[in-house]
Amino acid sequence: MAVKAFSSEWASAFKDEVNRSSTYKSAAKGWKWTVGLVVEAEPDKQFPEAKGVVMDLFDGEARDVTVGPASDAQKCDFVITAPYSRWKEVATKQLDATKGMLQGKLKLKGDLPTIVRYTKASQEMTECTTRVPVEWPDEK
Amino acid sequence: MARRKVKAEPQQPVLVDYADGEPSAFASMLGGLIQANVEGRPEKQKDFEALVARVGIWVNDINEGVTLDFKSGKLTVHNGLKPHRTITIRADAETVMSLSNLKVGLLGMPIYYDEVGREVAGKLLRGKLQIDGLLPNILTLNAVTRIFSVQ
Repeated sequence: MAVKAFSSEWASAFKDEVNRSSTYKSAAKGWKWTVGLVVEAEPDKQFPEAKGVVMDLFDGEARDVTVGPASDAQKCDFVITAPYSRWKEVATKQLDATKGMLQGKLKLKGDLPTIVRYTKASQEMTECTTRVPVEWPDEK
Repeated sequence: MARRKVKAEPQQPVLVDYADGEPSAFASMLGGLIQANVEGRPEKQKDFEALVARVGIWVNDINEGVTLDFKSGKLTVHNGLKPHRTITIRADAETVMSLSNLKVGLLGMPIYYDEVGREVAGKLLRGKLQIDGLLPNILTLNAVTRIFSVQ
């Protein structure tokens, strides 16, 4: 069943998807930092307020994924920021996250060598988002 | 009139600068990556200080590139490919990221027999990774790989 984009239900389904992935588990071995996704508001796309996804990831496991204010996500060790429609493109496989970062469509803050070392893990995490059926507010 | 002596603060040398007023996201990312690598890993400083080369990197699937101008301890990053390059690497975004994940082994040689190395070598053989100027500049390529590698 589809869940509302960037809702608590979405966070829970995303966390389960990450924890089901054996690829993520092995690629993220040794990862011990929090990751925040800032989803910027786009009122014309029925996404009126920015949201923050806080991911507590540790050694190949998603310990917790929560959705709250953008300011929570901005406090994480790594922060990736993009408007709502860009995240939608990532989650619907229209935009590859690695390419998006190189093009500046997704803005990354955090220690670059660390995130580059875990490219495979972040690619698999993106794959996990594509496996969660989502109800998009601008498609109602 | 007595003047107070102003003691100059020791300034950190600028390792990486950008030729363009608005560096592209790719230029900022590569420049930032190399700066963090060199500052954080003393073993990379020696290579960085010795390297003089103009290295182009072109990412086929985003149609963007940069030129890394290494000049003995200083790097200038240019948006796009500039002339007079020593070597030019052309690959897709994923392969470019794989290059920075190559491990460095004995005698500073990149390792091509582990999973990442085999993937990179395979792409080179299949033409999905092209390196112009490879043969006469193999030592330069190895030095760039060592500076670029996050492993």
